[in-house]
Amino acid sequence: MKLALPPVLLCHNGHQQNRDIPVVQPAAPAAQSLAFDFHTITWQADGFGFDATTGEFFTASPTALLVMQSLSEKLHRQQILDRITATFEVTRSTAERDLESFLAELAHLGLDDTAN
Amino acid sequence: MNSSPVIAVTGLHRGENPQPGSAVIRSLRRVYPELRIIGLVYDSLESGLFSEEDAPDAAFTLPYPSAGIDAFWNRLDAIRETECFDVLIPCLDAEMAPLVESPEKLRERGIHACLPSWQSFQARDKSKLTELCERTHCRTPQTIAVNDVNSLHQAAATFGGSVFVKGRYYEAQLASTPAAREAAYWHMIEQWGAPVLVQERIEGEEYNVIGLGDGRGHILGSCSMRKMLRTASGKGFGGMVVRDPQLDAIAQSLIAELRWNGPFELEFVKPDGPRSDYSLIEINPRFPAWCDFPSTLNCNLPAAALELALGWQPREPLRRATPGKFFIRHAIDMTGDIRDLAALTTTGQLIRQPSEPIAHAALTHNS
Repeated sequence: MKLALPPVLLCHNGHQQNRDIPVVQPAAPAAQSLAFDFHTITWQADGFGFDATTGEFFTASPTALLVMQSLSEKLHRQQILDRITATFEVTRSTAERDLESFLAELAHLGLDDTAN
Repeated sequence: MNSSPVIAVTGLHRGENPQPGSAVIRSLRRVYPELRIIGLVYDSLESGLFSEEDAPDAAFTLPYPSAGIDAFWNRLDAIRETECFDVLIPCLDAEMAPLVESPEKLRERGIHACLPSWQSFQARDKSKLTELCERTHCRTPQTIAVNDVNSLHQAAATFGGSVFVKGRYYEAQLASTPAAREAAYWHMIEQWGAPVLVQERIEGEEYNVIGLGDGRGHILGSCSMRKMLRTASGKGFGGMVVRDPQLDAIAQSLIAELRWNGPFELEFVKPDGPRSDYSLIEINPRFPAWCDFPSTLNCNLPAAALELALGWQPREPLRRATPGKFFIRHAIDMTGDIRDLAALTTTGQLIRQPSEPIAHAALTHNS
Protein backbone atom coordinates (compact mmCIF):
# COMPACT_ATOMS: atom_id res chain seq x y z
CA MET A 1 0.00 0.00 0.00
CA LYS A 2 1.48 3.34 -0.98
CA LEU A 3 -0.05 6.74 -0.82
CA ALA A 4 0.83 9.95 -2.57
CA LEU A 5 3.46 12.19 -1.09
CA PRO A 6 3.92 14.22 0.96
CA PRO A 7 1.11 12.90 3.15
CA VAL A 8 2.24 9.31 3.35
CA LEU A 9 1.05 6.15 5.00
CA LEU A 10 2.92 2.87 4.74
CA CYS A 11 1.65 -0.57 5.62
CA HIS A 12 3.95 -3.00 7.38
CA ASN A 13 2.47 -6.46 7.32
CA GLY A 14 5.41 -7.86 9.12
CA HIS A 15 6.83 -8.87 5.75
CA GLN A 16 10.14 -7.31 4.79
CA GLN A 17 10.00 -3.95 3.10
CA ASN A 18 12.90 -1.78 2.09
CA ARG A 19 11.17 1.47 1.36
CA ASP A 20 12.37 4.68 2.90
CA ILE A 21 9.82 6.61 4.83
CA PRO A 22 9.70 10.18 3.51
CA VAL A 23 9.92 12.75 6.22
CA VAL A 24 7.93 15.94 6.19
CA GLN A 25 9.41 18.50 8.52
CA PRO A 26 6.84 20.57 10.33
CA ALA A 27 7.49 24.32 10.24
CA ALA A 28 5.82 24.67 13.58
CA PRO A 29 4.86 22.10 16.16
CA ALA A 30 1.78 20.23 14.96
CA ALA A 31 -1.14 19.96 17.30
CA GLN A 32 -0.22 17.03 19.49
CA SER A 33 -2.90 14.69 20.64
CA LEU A 34 -3.29 11.28 22.13
CA ALA A 35 -4.26 8.23 20.10
CA PHE A 36 -7.21 8.51 17.75
CA ASP A 37 -9.16 6.04 15.67
CA PHE A 38 -9.50 6.38 11.93
CA HIS A 39 -11.69 3.59 10.58
CA THR A 40 -10.34 0.40 12.15
CA ILE A 41 -6.84 1.77 12.74
CA THR A 42 -5.72 3.27 16.02
CA TRP A 43 -3.06 5.92 15.44
CA GLN A 44 -0.53 7.05 17.98
CA ALA A 45 0.87 10.58 18.06
CA ASP A 46 4.22 9.26 16.81
CA GLY A 47 2.65 8.11 13.54
CA PHE A 48 2.38 4.39 14.31
CA GLY A 49 -0.97 2.82 13.49
CA PHE A 50 -2.36 -0.62 14.33
CA ASP A 51 -5.45 -2.27 12.89
CA ALA A 52 -6.76 -4.71 15.52
CA THR A 53 -9.11 -6.39 13.04
CA THR A 54 -6.41 -7.29 10.50
CA GLY A 55 -3.23 -7.24 12.58
CA GLU A 56 -1.62 -4.88 10.09
CA PHE A 57 0.48 -1.98 11.26
CA PHE A 58 1.41 1.23 9.55
CA THR A 59 3.54 4.31 9.73
CA ALA A 60 2.28 7.68 8.59
CA SER A 61 4.05 10.96 7.96
CA PRO A 62 3.10 13.86 10.23
CA THR A 63 1.05 15.34 7.39
CA ALA A 64 -0.88 12.13 6.77
CA LEU A 65 -1.48 11.82 10.48
CA LEU A 66 -2.83 15.34 10.66
CA VAL A 67 -5.17 14.73 7.72
CA MET A 68 -6.53 11.47 9.14
CA GLN A 69 -6.99 13.02 12.56
CA SER A 70 -8.85 15.91 10.94
CA LEU A 71 -11.06 13.48 9.02
CA SER A 72 -11.79 11.56 12.20
CA GLU A 73 -12.93 14.87 13.71
CA LYS A 74 -15.24 15.34 10.70
CA LEU A 75 -13.49 18.51 9.57
CA HIS A 76 -14.26 19.86 6.12
CA ARG A 77 -11.57 20.14 3.44
CA GLN A 78 -11.10 23.86 3.91
CA GLN A 79 -10.66 23.35 7.63
CA ILE A 80 -8.13 20.59 6.96
CA LEU A 81 -6.22 22.88 4.61
CA ASP A 82 -6.25 25.58 7.29
CA ARG A 83 -4.77 23.13 9.72
CA ILE A 84 -2.11 21.91 7.28
CA THR A 85 -0.95 25.41 6.32
CA ALA A 86 -0.94 26.47 9.96
CA THR A 87 1.17 23.50 10.95
CA PHE A 88 3.54 23.01 8.02
CA GLU A 89 5.56 25.35 5.86
CA VAL A 90 3.61 24.84 2.66
CA THR A 91 1.62 27.01 0.28
CA ARG A 92 -2.12 26.56 0.21
CA SER A 93 -2.10 25.52 -3.43
CA THR A 94 0.50 22.81 -2.82
CA ALA A 95 -1.33 21.63 0.28
CA GLU A 96 -4.57 21.51 -1.67
CA ARG A 97 -3.02 19.43 -4.44
CA ASP A 98 -1.41 17.02 -1.99
CA LEU A 99 -4.58 16.72 0.07
CA GLU A 100 -6.63 15.82 -3.02
CA SER A 101 -4.08 13.21 -3.96
CA PHE A 102 -4.06 11.75 -0.46
CA LEU A 103 -7.84 11.65 -0.25
CA ALA A 104 -7.93 9.85 -3.59
CA GLU A 105 -5.58 7.23 -2.15
CA LEU A 106 -7.76 6.85 0.92
CA ALA A 107 -10.75 6.37 -1.36
CA HIS A 108 -8.85 3.70 -3.27
CA LEU A 109 -8.25 1.91 0.02
CA GLY A 110 -11.90 2.16 0.99
CA LEU A 111 -11.16 4.70 3.71
CA ASP A 112 -13.02 7.63 2.21
CA ASP A 113 -16.42 7.64 3.83
CA THR A 114 -15.43 10.33 6.31
CA ALA A 115 -13.93 12.50 3.58
CA ASN A 116 -16.08 15.45 2.63
CA MET B 1 -7.24 -43.48 37.52
CA ASN B 2 -4.12 -42.18 39.22
CA SER B 3 -4.60 -39.86 42.20
CA SER B 4 -2.88 -37.19 40.12
CA PRO B 5 -3.62 -37.86 36.46
CA VAL B 6 -0.83 -38.81 34.09
CA ILE B 7 -1.07 -37.18 30.68
CA ALA B 8 0.21 -38.61 27.39
CA VAL B 9 1.03 -36.20 24.56
CA THR B 10 2.19 -36.91 20.99
CA GLY B 11 3.88 -34.77 18.35
CA LEU B 12 7.01 -33.55 20.12
CA HIS B 13 9.17 -32.58 17.16
CA ARG B 14 9.63 -28.86 16.69
CA GLY B 15 11.66 -28.83 13.51
CA GLU B 16 11.01 -27.00 10.27
CA ASN B 17 7.34 -27.94 10.49
CA PRO B 18 6.82 -27.79 14.25
CA GLN B 19 4.44 -30.24 15.86
CA PRO B 20 2.16 -29.10 18.70
CA GLY B 21 3.04 -31.55 21.50
CA SER B 22 5.78 -29.54 23.20
CA ALA B 23 3.61 -26.42 23.17
CA VAL B 24 0.78 -28.43 24.76
CA ILE B 25 3.14 -29.65 27.50
CA ARG B 26 4.39 -26.14 28.17
CA SER B 27 0.83 -24.82 28.45
CA LEU B 28 -0.27 -27.63 30.77
CA ARG B 29 2.65 -26.95 33.09
CA ARG B 30 1.81 -23.25 33.25
CA VAL B 31 -1.37 -24.18 35.14
CA TYR B 32 -0.55 -27.63 36.51
CA PRO B 33 3.21 -27.72 37.17
CA GLU B 34 2.80 -30.88 39.24
CA LEU B 35 1.39 -32.96 36.36
CA ARG B 36 3.25 -36.04 35.24
CA ILE B 37 3.43 -35.94 31.46
CA ILE B 38 4.69 -38.64 29.14
CA GLY B 39 5.60 -38.21 25.51
CA LEU B 40 4.60 -40.71 22.85
CA VAL B 41 7.05 -40.40 19.98
CA TYR B 42 7.65 -41.98 16.61
CA ASP B 43 11.33 -41.12 16.47
CA SER B 44 14.05 -40.97 19.08
CA LEU B 45 15.17 -37.63 17.63
CA GLU B 46 11.92 -35.76 18.25
CA SER B 47 13.37 -32.49 19.48
CA GLY B 48 10.92 -31.92 22.33
CA LEU B 49 12.50 -34.86 24.20
CA PHE B 50 15.64 -32.83 24.77
CA SER B 51 14.16 -29.50 25.79
CA GLU B 52 14.89 -28.20 29.27
CA GLU B 53 11.46 -26.60 29.54
CA ASP B 54 9.04 -28.69 27.49
CA ALA B 55 10.36 -32.21 27.85
CA PRO B 56 8.03 -34.92 29.13
CA ASP B 57 8.89 -36.77 32.34
CA ALA B 58 9.15 -39.97 30.34
CA ALA B 59 8.85 -40.96 26.71
CA PHE B 60 7.83 -44.09 24.83
CA THR B 61 8.08 -44.94 21.18
CA LEU B 62 5.00 -45.68 19.09
CA PRO B 63 4.89 -47.66 15.85
CA TYR B 64 4.36 -45.58 12.71
CA PRO B 65 0.73 -45.49 11.52
CA SER B 66 1.74 -47.65 8.56
CA ALA B 67 2.19 -50.55 11.04
CA GLY B 68 -1.58 -50.66 11.41
CA ILE B 69 -4.13 -49.89 14.07
CA ASP B 70 -3.68 -53.14 16.00
CA ALA B 71 0.02 -52.42 16.47
CA PHE B 72 -0.93 -48.99 17.82
CA TRP B 73 -3.36 -50.31 20.43
CA ASN B 74 -1.03 -53.15 21.42
CA ARG B 75 1.79 -50.71 21.97
CA LEU B 76 -0.47 -48.36 23.94
CA ASP B 77 -1.41 -51.27 26.24
CA ALA B 78 2.24 -52.21 26.69
CA ILE B 79 3.14 -48.61 27.56
CA ARG B 80 0.33 -48.43 30.09
CA GLU B 81 1.73 -51.45 31.90
CA THR B 82 4.77 -49.28 32.68
CA GLU B 83 3.10 -45.89 32.81
CA CYS B 84 -0.66 -46.06 33.20
CA PHE B 85 -1.59 -42.70 31.73
CA ASP B 86 -5.12 -41.37 32.21
CA VAL B 87 -5.46 -38.75 29.48
CA LEU B 88 -4.33 -38.79 25.86
CA ILE B 89 -3.84 -35.56 23.91
CA PRO B 90 -3.16 -36.54 20.29
CA CYS B 91 -1.42 -33.78 18.38
CA LEU B 92 -0.91 -35.23 14.90
CA ASP B 93 -3.46 -35.37 12.10
CA ALA B 94 -2.73 -38.96 11.11
CA GLU B 95 -3.47 -40.17 14.65
CA MET B 96 -6.87 -38.60 14.87
CA ALA B 97 -9.00 -40.78 12.60
CA PRO B 98 -8.48 -44.13 14.39
CA LEU B 99 -9.04 -42.51 17.79
CA VAL B 100 -12.15 -40.61 16.74
CA GLU B 101 -13.50 -43.68 14.95
CA SER B 102 -13.20 -45.90 18.03
CA PRO B 103 -13.67 -43.81 21.17
CA GLU B 104 -14.90 -46.92 22.98
CA LYS B 105 -11.39 -48.35 22.79
CA LEU B 106 -10.18 -45.40 24.82
CA ARG B 107 -13.12 -45.59 27.22
CA GLU B 108 -12.72 -49.31 27.93
CA ARG B 109 -9.09 -48.65 28.85
CA GLY B 110 -10.05 -45.79 31.13
CA ILE B 111 -8.28 -43.23 28.93
CA HIS B 112 -9.85 -39.78 28.84
CA ALA B 113 -9.60 -37.67 25.71
CA CYS B 114 -11.20 -34.56 24.30
CA LEU B 115 -12.18 -35.66 20.82
CA PRO B 116 -14.83 -34.70 18.26
CA SER B 117 -17.51 -37.14 17.17
CA TRP B 118 -16.84 -39.18 14.05
CA GLN B 119 -19.59 -37.26 12.27
CA SER B 120 -18.02 -33.88 13.11
CA PHE B 121 -14.59 -35.14 12.20
CA GLN B 122 -15.75 -36.31 8.81
CA ALA B 123 -17.71 -33.13 8.08
CA ARG B 124 -14.56 -31.00 8.35
CA ASP B 125 -12.48 -33.27 6.13
CA LYS B 126 -10.66 -31.37 3.40
CA SER B 127 -12.74 -33.08 0.75
CA LYS B 128 -15.99 -32.00 2.48
CA LEU B 129 -15.18 -28.35 3.13
CA THR B 130 -17.29 -27.09 0.25
CA GLU B 131 -20.42 -28.72 1.64
CA LEU B 132 -19.71 -27.48 5.15
CA CYS B 133 -19.13 -23.96 3.90
CA GLU B 134 -22.34 -24.02 1.88
CA ARG B 135 -24.27 -24.85 5.05
CA THR B 136 -22.56 -22.09 7.03
CA HIS B 137 -22.44 -19.47 4.25
CA CYS B 138 -18.68 -19.28 4.50
CA ARG B 139 -16.40 -18.85 1.51
CA THR B 140 -13.86 -21.54 0.72
CA PRO B 141 -11.51 -22.08 -2.21
CA GLN B 142 -12.80 -24.62 -4.70
CA THR B 143 -11.27 -28.01 -4.00
CA ILE B 144 -11.31 -31.21 -6.03
CA ALA B 145 -10.21 -34.61 -4.74
CA VAL B 146 -8.22 -36.57 -7.34
CA ASN B 147 -6.94 -40.11 -7.51
CA ASP B 148 -4.92 -40.04 -10.73
CA VAL B 149 -2.65 -37.71 -12.68
CA ASN B 150 -5.12 -37.00 -15.49
CA SER B 151 -7.71 -35.81 -12.99
CA LEU B 152 -5.00 -33.74 -11.31
CA HIS B 153 -4.27 -31.80 -14.51
CA GLN B 154 -7.95 -31.42 -15.34
CA ALA B 155 -8.66 -30.01 -11.91
CA ALA B 156 -5.68 -27.64 -12.15
CA ALA B 157 -6.85 -26.42 -15.56
CA THR B 158 -10.25 -25.64 -14.04
CA PHE B 159 -8.54 -23.34 -11.54
CA GLY B 160 -6.23 -21.62 -14.02
CA GLY B 161 -3.15 -23.80 -13.63
CA SER B 162 -1.58 -22.46 -10.46
CA VAL B 163 -3.02 -24.52 -7.58
CA PHE B 164 -2.29 -25.92 -4.17
CA VAL B 165 -1.74 -29.67 -4.17
CA LYS B 166 -2.58 -30.92 -0.69
CA GLY B 167 -2.11 -34.13 1.22
CA ARG B 168 -5.11 -35.92 2.64
CA TYR B 169 -4.04 -35.17 6.22
CA TYR B 170 -1.26 -32.65 6.02
CA GLU B 171 1.01 -30.61 3.78
CA ALA B 172 0.36 -28.40 0.80
CA GLN B 173 2.52 -27.38 -2.12
CA LEU B 174 1.93 -24.53 -4.54
CA ALA B 175 2.36 -25.90 -8.05
CA SER B 176 2.21 -23.79 -11.20
CA THR B 177 3.52 -26.16 -13.88
CA PRO B 178 2.43 -29.66 -14.92
CA ALA B 179 5.76 -31.09 -13.77
CA ALA B 180 5.50 -29.41 -10.37
CA ARG B 181 1.91 -30.63 -9.98
CA GLU B 182 2.86 -34.21 -10.76
CA ALA B 183 5.82 -34.12 -8.39
CA ALA B 184 3.60 -32.73 -5.64
CA TYR B 185 0.90 -35.30 -6.42
CA TRP B 186 3.23 -38.28 -6.08
CA HIS B 187 4.79 -36.81 -2.96
CA MET B 188 1.37 -36.50 -1.31
CA ILE B 189 0.38 -40.01 -2.40
CA GLU B 190 3.57 -41.40 -0.92
CA GLN B 191 3.28 -39.45 2.33
CA TRP B 192 -0.43 -39.44 3.04
CA GLY B 193 -2.17 -41.75 0.58
CA ALA B 194 -5.10 -41.03 -1.72
CA PRO B 195 -6.98 -38.91 -2.46
CA VAL B 196 -4.91 -35.81 -3.17
CA LEU B 197 -6.68 -32.47 -2.97
CA VAL B 198 -6.33 -29.83 -5.67
CA GLN B 199 -7.29 -26.42 -4.32
CA GLU B 200 -7.87 -23.13 -6.07
CA ARG B 201 -5.17 -20.61 -5.19
CA ILE B 202 -6.32 -17.49 -3.39
CA GLU B 203 -3.66 -14.92 -2.65
CA GLY B 204 -3.88 -12.82 0.47
CA GLU B 205 -3.13 -12.60 4.14
CA GLU B 206 -3.59 -15.76 6.21
CA TYR B 207 -5.54 -15.82 9.46
CA ASN B 208 -5.84 -18.69 11.93
CA VAL B 209 -8.28 -19.25 14.77
CA ILE B 210 -7.39 -21.65 17.56
CA GLY B 211 -10.15 -22.71 19.91
CA LEU B 212 -11.85 -25.30 22.04
CA GLY B 213 -15.36 -26.55 21.32
CA ASP B 214 -17.68 -27.95 23.99
CA GLY B 215 -19.40 -30.49 21.71
CA ARG B 216 -22.71 -28.64 21.93
CA GLY B 217 -21.94 -25.91 19.43
CA HIS B 218 -20.21 -23.42 21.69
CA ILE B 219 -16.64 -22.16 21.69
CA LEU B 220 -15.22 -22.21 25.21
CA GLY B 221 -12.28 -20.02 24.25
CA SER B 222 -10.44 -18.90 21.15
CA CYS B 223 -7.66 -16.72 19.84
CA SER B 224 -7.33 -15.33 16.31
CA MET B 225 -4.10 -14.29 14.67
CA ARG B 226 -2.70 -13.10 11.36
CA LYS B 227 0.39 -14.91 10.14
CA MET B 228 3.13 -12.30 10.17
CA LEU B 229 5.97 -14.54 9.06
CA ARG B 230 5.70 -17.61 6.89
CA THR B 231 8.23 -20.31 6.09
CA ALA B 232 8.88 -21.45 2.54
CA SER B 233 6.23 -24.14 3.06
CA GLY B 234 3.71 -21.59 4.34
CA LYS B 235 3.93 -22.42 8.04
CA GLY B 236 3.37 -19.52 10.38
CA PHE B 237 6.60 -18.51 12.09
CA GLY B 238 5.13 -15.42 13.69
CA GLY B 239 1.60 -14.23 14.34
CA MET B 240 -0.26 -11.14 15.55
CA VAL B 241 -3.42 -11.37 17.65
CA VAL B 242 -6.41 -9.82 15.89
CA ARG B 243 -9.99 -9.29 16.94
CA ASP B 244 -12.40 -9.10 14.03
CA PRO B 245 -16.12 -9.64 14.76
CA GLN B 246 -16.55 -11.01 11.22
CA LEU B 247 -13.90 -13.68 11.80
CA ASP B 248 -15.36 -14.52 15.22
CA ALA B 249 -18.81 -14.94 13.67
CA ILE B 250 -17.53 -17.28 10.97
CA ALA B 251 -15.67 -19.39 13.54
CA GLN B 252 -18.75 -19.57 15.76
CA SER B 253 -20.92 -20.58 12.83
CA LEU B 254 -18.57 -23.38 11.76
CA ILE B 255 -18.13 -24.79 15.27
CA ALA B 256 -21.87 -24.59 15.93
CA GLU B 257 -22.61 -26.47 12.70
CA LEU B 258 -20.05 -29.13 13.52
CA ARG B 259 -20.93 -29.26 17.24
CA TRP B 260 -17.20 -29.62 17.61
CA ASN B 261 -15.80 -31.16 20.77
CA GLY B 262 -12.17 -30.46 21.62
CA PRO B 263 -9.35 -28.43 20.18
CA PHE B 264 -9.43 -27.05 16.65
CA GLU B 265 -7.64 -24.68 14.35
CA LEU B 266 -9.42 -22.88 11.52
CA GLU B 267 -7.23 -21.62 8.68
CA PHE B 268 -8.39 -18.75 6.50
CA VAL B 269 -7.03 -16.63 3.69
CA LYS B 270 -8.34 -13.13 3.07
CA PRO B 271 -7.66 -11.70 -0.39
CA ASP B 272 -6.05 -8.28 -0.52
CA GLY B 273 -8.52 -5.41 -0.69
CA PRO B 274 -10.61 -3.45 1.75
CA ARG B 275 -13.87 -5.36 1.39
CA SER B 276 -12.72 -8.94 0.85
CA ASP B 277 -14.12 -11.91 2.75
CA TYR B 278 -12.40 -14.62 4.71
CA SER B 279 -12.09 -17.90 2.85
CA LEU B 280 -11.75 -21.12 4.84
CA ILE B 281 -8.75 -23.20 3.74
CA GLU B 282 -9.01 -26.05 6.22
CA ILE B 283 -9.96 -27.14 9.74
CA ASN B 284 -7.33 -28.93 11.79
CA PRO B 285 -8.84 -31.33 14.36
CA ARG B 286 -6.18 -30.70 17.01
CA PHE B 287 -4.08 -28.00 18.61
CA PRO B 288 -1.67 -26.19 16.29
CA ALA B 289 2.03 -25.68 17.07
CA TRP B 290 1.37 -22.09 18.25
CA CYS B 291 -1.07 -23.16 20.99
CA ASP B 292 1.19 -22.03 23.82
CA PHE B 293 1.20 -18.43 22.61
CA PRO B 294 -2.41 -17.73 23.72
CA SER B 295 -1.55 -19.42 27.01
CA THR B 296 0.88 -16.59 27.72
CA LEU B 297 -2.08 -14.23 27.31
CA ASN B 298 -4.38 -15.95 29.83
CA CYS B 299 -6.09 -18.10 27.21
CA ASN B 300 -4.69 -21.52 28.12
CA LEU B 301 -6.61 -23.82 25.80
CA PRO B 302 -4.57 -27.02 26.41
CA ALA B 303 -5.24 -26.71 30.15
CA ALA B 304 -8.92 -26.12 29.41
CA ALA B 305 -8.98 -29.18 27.14
CA LEU B 306 -7.49 -31.28 29.93
CA GLU B 307 -10.12 -30.02 32.35
CA LEU B 308 -12.84 -30.73 29.80
CA ALA B 309 -11.55 -34.27 29.26
CA LEU B 310 -11.48 -34.97 33.01
CA GLY B 311 -14.69 -33.10 33.85
CA TRP B 312 -12.78 -30.74 36.12
CA GLN B 313 -13.78 -27.21 37.01
CA PRO B 314 -11.50 -24.76 35.17
CA ARG B 315 -8.66 -23.53 37.36
CA GLU B 316 -8.33 -20.32 35.34
CA PRO B 317 -10.93 -18.61 33.14
CA LEU B 318 -10.21 -18.33 29.43
CA ARG B 319 -9.72 -14.67 28.52
CA ARG B 320 -9.66 -12.94 25.15
CA ALA B 321 -6.13 -12.28 23.97
CA THR B 322 -5.35 -8.62 23.39
CA PRO B 323 -4.90 -7.56 19.75
CA GLY B 324 -1.37 -6.37 19.12
CA LYS B 325 0.31 -9.14 21.09
CA PHE B 326 2.39 -11.26 18.76
CA PHE B 327 4.72 -14.24 18.74
CA ILE B 328 7.90 -14.86 16.83
CA ARG B 329 9.25 -18.38 16.68
CA HIS B 330 12.89 -18.74 17.70
CA ALA B 331 14.88 -21.85 16.80
CA ILE B 332 17.59 -22.83 19.25
CA ASP B 333 20.01 -25.72 19.65
CA MET B 334 19.49 -28.20 22.45
CA THR B 335 21.88 -30.65 23.98
CA GLY B 336 21.13 -34.34 24.07
CA ASP B 337 23.01 -37.33 25.42
CA ILE B 338 23.73 -40.53 23.53
CA ARG B 339 22.50 -42.52 26.55
CA ASP B 340 18.99 -41.11 26.05
CA LEU B 341 19.05 -42.05 22.38
CA ALA B 342 20.25 -45.52 23.30
CA ALA B 343 17.47 -46.00 25.84
CA LEU B 344 14.75 -44.97 23.43
CA THR B 345 16.18 -46.92 20.53
CA THR B 346 16.80 -50.17 22.36
CA THR B 347 14.02 -50.30 24.95
CA GLY B 348 11.49 -47.90 23.43
CA GLN B 349 11.33 -45.85 26.58
CA LEU B 350 13.14 -43.02 28.28
CA ILE B 351 12.64 -42.00 31.88
CA ARG B 352 14.12 -38.55 32.33
CA GLN B 353 16.67 -38.10 35.08
CA PRO B 354 17.46 -34.74 36.66
CA SER B 355 20.19 -33.06 34.62
CA GLU B 356 23.74 -33.37 35.85
CA PRO B 357 25.39 -30.10 36.82
CA ILE B 358 28.26 -29.10 34.56
CA ALA B 359 31.36 -28.51 36.66
CA HIS B 360 33.01 -25.13 36.10
CA ALA B 361 36.67 -25.45 35.11
CA ALA B 362 37.78 -22.99 37.79
CA LEU B 363 36.01 -24.96 40.48
CA THR B 364 37.53 -28.20 39.22
CA HIS B 365 41.04 -26.76 39.39
CA ASN B 366 40.49 -25.40 42.88
CA SER B 367 39.18 -28.62 44.28
